[in-house]
Amino acid sequence: MKFIKNHLMFILPLMAILLGVEFYLVFDRTTDSYEKGLTEGYSMLVVTNEPASLETFQGLNAHISSSEKIKREGIVSEIAKGVSKDASKEILGALPHFYSVRLDSYLGTASLDKIKKDLESHANVKSVETFGSSYSSSYRLFSFIKLSLKIFIVFMAVVSLFLIIKQMEIWKYAHKQRMQVMEIFGAPLMLRSGVLFKVAIIDAILATLFTSLFFLYLKFKWAANSGIDMMIQNKEELFKMTDIGILLAVALVIVVIAVYTVVFTAKGEEE
Amino acid sequence: MSNVISASHLTLAYDNGTKEIIKDATFSIKKGEFVFITGPSGSGKSTLLKALYGQIKASEGNLVIGGLDLATARKSKLQELRTHMGIIFQDYKLVNEWTVAKNVVLPLMIAGYSVDVQNTQAQRLLKHVKLSEHAEKYPLELSGGEQQRVGVARALAKNPVVILADEPTGNLDDYSSNVIWDLMENACQQLDTTVLVVTHKIPSIFSLPYRHFIIENKGVYEVH
Repeated sequence: MKFIKNHLMFILPLMAILLGVEFYLVFDRTTDSYEKGLTEGYSMLVVTNEPASLETFQGLNAHISSSEKIKREGIVSEIAKGVSKDASKEILGALPHFYSVRLDSYLGTASLDKIKKDLESHANVKSVETFGSSYSSSYRLFSFIKLSLKIFIVFMAVVSLFLIIKQMEIWKYAHKQRMQVMEIFGAPLMLRSGVLFKVAIIDAILATLFTSLFFLYLKFKWAANSGIDMMIQNKEELFKMTDIGILLAVALVIVVIAVYTVVFTAKGEEE
Repeated sequence: MSNVISASHLTLAYDNGTKEIIKDATFSIKKGEFVFITGPSGSGKSTLLKALYGQIKASEGNLVIGGLDLATARKSKLQELRTHMGIIFQDYKLVNEWTVAKNVVLPLMIAGYSVDVQNTQAQRLLKHVKLSEHAEKYPLELSGGEQQRVGVARALAKNPVVILADEPTGNLDDYSSNVIWDLMENACQQLDTTVLVVTHKIPSIFSLPYRHFIIENKGVYEVH
């Protein structure tokens, strides 16, 4: 019972950190694809006196990734109904040129304002419409959710780290006598800390395994049967097999630091 | 005969050299000698012993053991030196979560002997200290005298060059004390092991020729 308790006291906070890491990875991937979607769905309208090329726009601001000319004939046919062909040609000639301009990434409102300014600085550009208000509210909501989740993950990791430090104190107490006796008889560091490493590495593997199983369950059972469109669409982002490697590496780094801290502090007290 | 231990103007101190325990001590001990170090409580006997196994460093002077100057020795060299020492403590310093047999073979484990050799040696050593039937018990299941005999068996496990003993029979019954003195005498006589014992009182039953040092007023003096 004591043996299981000792392991769980380390595995659980380690799992909490790994869950934090995995949530971060999942969130990062999900927000990346969401950002991509927002970026693809967003365009600004640029009105020019003369026809303009993509290179001209990109020369004014590097964030511009593509531009598409909006056909003026459609506009003319709407506004010149019942007007003669000659008159409609005249209207077409008088109309400026319209471009739908897309950006390379999801930018803040300050960056949008800068792009607008950069474009308007060109003599050929008549006006720029960024549709800033609707963009701004989506951007703020998105940033708020992103920040909240990151703060929560960091908070969870800090609390878990404290629990691990507490567990290290218990380890130190439990293993101190053995390590000190072994040191007196000339045992090298690796032999002295061998048992501790074994226990810690097993715990790291178990914590990685439990965390991975939890996410695999989320991916293949919960998300698939949730009926929530966003979950079903983003199912692939939930857990990737490469994440097992990342989680194991994080867990091993934490346990190696924990074990060395115990080994060196136990030695310091003896002397 | 060559010196196994030699101290030259040795000063040992705590608190960054401000609290001197031993001052300007010069002595040497040859291979195969049996040495008693006596002195009143708090005179620095245990401190001298700690310096001999490299637990504390000299604040001045030199302390050379087996040709190794402990003041300048690298950690790995000090570790290696300790594997040639058998150390016996008044408080036994056994690993309580290990069986008696495992405690006894600790020096063999450190030296990388196979499990088979360790098991054979454990049986032999425990027979020597008359604890064969306790091999699978844990130290806290034994009496103080029995625990100290385990400590002595551990110290003898690898036929050490030097045995350092700190009050080895301090609180023990006569039977355990006699077994322990016998074992140390045998090691000295038969294996030519240098034995250095810190104690309050030299046992009356002791039969071997020995040297006697006394620690007084921070100095180490030989009694002739």
